[in-house]
Amino acid sequence: MGFIRLVVLGFIAMTVVYFAISIYSRSIRREKLEDAWDEDHPEGGDTAARDTYIEQGMVEYEHGFRKKLIWLVYVVPPVFVAAIWYITNNQ
Amino acid sequence: MKKTLLVLKILPFLFVFGLLDYVLPQHDIAKITSTTEIEQNLSWMNRLFYAQADSGNVASDKRYVRFINAERRKSWLFGFFPRDSYGVMVYRNEDTGWIWPPYFKFDTSDLQAEADAASSLTGEEQWVVITHYGWRNKFFSIYPNVVGIREISGPDVTIIPWFNIFFFIFLAVAYFFIRAMWRQFRERSVDPLLEDAGEVWDKVDDHADAASEKARGIWGRFMAWLATWRKK
Repeated sequence: MGFIRLVVLGFIAMTVVYFAISIYSRSIRREKLEDAWDEDHPEGGDTAARDTYIEQGMVEYEHGFRKKLIWLVYVVPPVFVAAIWYITNNQ
Repeated sequence: MKKTLLVLKILPFLFVFGLLDYVLPQHDIAKITSTTEIEQNLSWMNRLFYAQADSGNVASDKRYVRFINAERRKSWLFGFFPRDSYGVMVYRNEDTGWIWPPYFKFDTSDLQAEADAASSLTGEEQWVVITHYGWRNKFFSIYPNVVGIREISGPDVTIIPWFNIFFFIFLAVAYFFIRAMWRQFRERSVDPLLEDAGEVWDKVDDHADAASEKARGIWGRFMAWLATWRKK
């Protein structure tokens, strides 16, 4: 029973962390795209072109490698649990 | 009042400090003198400081608990400064299971056998490093729980608490990461909302000002009218 509880609670916690990091990462990416556009167009530029540029950058991010790295949130804690379990019980 | 507030601010820190002091692993340099198994009748005072019932068993306040008696080297400041004096220490040896504290310890029986094997009772002096968490308190009858025993050649060894080092680094990284997330969230989501809300609030404020001006007008006129009834 304890194991099921650990898995369920751990899964909920990891999901919360996953979504928090996803939102944060997306926000950072968008801000960087905005800053990059503003740097290239000091006087503002075309608003529609700016939106297209940012949206395209976001689409690239959504399919990129960085976003996949967030899945590590589900990988690292179980590895730690396994490591602690091994060190505690098999030494 | 200020003192009360100060105490209220210090309490969470004390709680966290106590929690970490209880849960994080510590190392004792010790000689195991004997191992025992005693029936414990737990009460509300010390129930919290013992493990949960084994997963297949019914939760009972009466149980047999394995103990490891040892003579350990005393130390200052969480074991950082070993002293040259020695004192006795009694450890309990219980499974933590899957939940809390997260040591995932299931090898209680094996550990007890290891303790017997490393015991100095056989005549030969055998020093060990006992890894444990928890507190010893005589009044509450609570004991630190052993999670590991490692044999060493003598009492003069330097122990580097690797786990605790990485744990505190992780804690610091997590703190700064959460702070960065919170700041980003405020900058991108809350502040723009607040600006909008501020504009709305300014409008409400203007209306309120106008209304109070109007009310003051009526009230002022009313007071002026009352004043005409006063004796002059």
